[in-house]
Amino acid sequence: MTERLIKNSFIHGEEMILNIGPQHPSTHGVLRLRVKTDGEIVSEVTPIIGYLHRCFEKHCENLTYEQVIPYTDRCDYIASMNTNFGYVVAVEELMGIEVPEKVEYIRIIMAELNRIASHLLALGTFGLDVGATTPFLYMFRDRERILDMFEMVCGARLLYNYMWVGGVSHDLPVGFVEATFKFLDDFEREIDEYNNLLTFNKIFIERTADVGIMTPEVAIDYGVSGPNLRGSGVKWDLRKNDPYSIYDRFDFNIPVGEGTMGSVGDCWDRYWVRVLEMHESVKIVRQALQQMPKEGNVHEALPKKVRPPKGSVYKRTESPRGDLGYYIISDGKPSPIRLKMRSPAFTSLSVLNEISRGWMISDVLAVLGSLDIVLGEIDR
Amino acid sequence: MGRYLVNIWESVSTMLIGLGITGKHLLRAKNGNVTLQYPEEKWPRPERNIGFDHQDYNVIRSRLVVDINDCTGCKKCERACPVGCISVEALKVPKGTDLGVTSNDTIKRLLVTRHDIDMSECMYCNLCTFPCPEECIYMTGGPNSHKTPIDYEFSEYDRNNLIYKFAVATQEEIDSYTIPVPVTPAPEGAKA
Repeated sequence: MTERLIKNSFIHGEEMILNIGPQHPSTHGVLRLRVKTDGEIVSEVTPIIGYLHRCFEKHCENLTYEQVIPYTDRCDYIASMNTNFGYVVAVEELMGIEVPEKVEYIRIIMAELNRIASHLLALGTFGLDVGATTPFLYMFRDRERILDMFEMVCGARLLYNYMWVGGVSHDLPVGFVEATFKFLDDFEREIDEYNNLLTFNKIFIERTADVGIMTPEVAIDYGVSGPNLRGSGVKWDLRKNDPYSIYDRFDFNIPVGEGTMGSVGDCWDRYWVRVLEMHESVKIVRQALQQMPKEGNVHEALPKKVRPPKGSVYKRTESPRGDLGYYIISDGKPSPIRLKMRSPAFTSLSVLNEISRGWMISDVLAVLGSLDIVLGEIDR
Repeated sequence: MGRYLVNIWESVSTMLIGLGITGKHLLRAKNGNVTLQYPEEKWPRPERNIGFDHQDYNVIRSRLVVDINDCTGCKKCERACPVGCISVEALKVPKGTDLGVTSNDTIKRLLVTRHDIDMSECMYCNLCTFPCPEECIYMTGGPNSHKTPIDYEFSEYDRNNLIYKFAVATQEEIDSYTIPVPVTPAPEGAKA
């Protein structure tokens, strides 16, 4: 299926190399694509990365454990709460810290709200890539409300530095719970609006269904995770399969792609999985808000000095883009001796050549949009 | 042929559904509820009272301010800063010199000769405001809004103007502690 167009075209012309990016609105950041084309059919895509490289991992070796947290914000800047979450969970496991109940619930609420915000941006820009401008504005309107709530909680809109080792920086403000409930009630209605605007639009379906099919085998071979993997029909979610924090207390489903509009693992499936995941996140936030203890000091378990004992830890969490892992080696000093971050967007990008070979140039951009990459995380 | 007509019908009908939603929002739109003519109009400054009694809650990410009269020169903010945009220099003064007390009644033992914050380097992580024992470094607004109102617009034409210099110690004051005053030789064994 992937090689469909190449095989069917019996006339082979001269191959041309087309350069997309680094400054291109469809590359979602500073990514350069070297596309080898035969006419309009793509025979090879080479992503060239590194324009946003900031030496995150090397830099962490010179920072104390607390000071690393603002830098993790800047890796996946669309879902900073989740990158913070993965890091603090890893350090806590290394130090053996038990965080209070309330902190666990606050973290879940923040991570899931951020997941919704991240998916909204992913779906909106995907729409932009295939030529739908209006849904993007609707989705940004709702994302704005989530960012307003984050601003209410920690003062920042994008780079939060909210989760600390052993706690969170601020307690929930008065009125946050009510505001979140109100948002969730509104938001579930808004999802139907998006579906009518974009998801079931015939033009959108024609652009995305049966395009860029990633079979489960390919996805697993390349190590793709998160919504992209689930879009291929593989039921794998770390929140269920390897629960961290208190995710085992919540009742939610793992949506997988079923090939509703085309075949399993096409762009539309990856899109649809994200829409369904927003429903699941709403469910989790609702349950967390209801179960959350009213009392509790969020600074209770903060260690005086974050100085983990000698040893190493690898902890993976489910970020909106997939399997986000931190490998931390400590030698008992205030700063880590080595910190490795396993970025889910990097593996998602690596599969691009495999699944977009044989399609048209405009399909490559659709595939790239459906993979939902963040260059801050790929280059780090 | 049938498929062809179905495709046309689906395209038109789904597009009309989308247009219906847009039209609904068009009719519901209130005047100016999205776009603001920025320099003339401004978003209301967000309500930053977190609603607790904790005075140390500072939920602001804005311009950094130091109440230099409360600063003891402990350099905790300098050590906490991940990017190193705060530079503090403090001078040990001879014993017995009275530098006053902070508003928390801590006796000041060091003369702060330099407290520079490079706001162009600051990444607004708020990590410096938490360790301060005197709560004298904070982002504008919040619990300290009676001292410094919240301010988001602090762009400058010259980059050097973004380096905020908070220290107020004059050169004479510094010299009076550093340049040894010729005194009568102290009795043997005494230490300065």
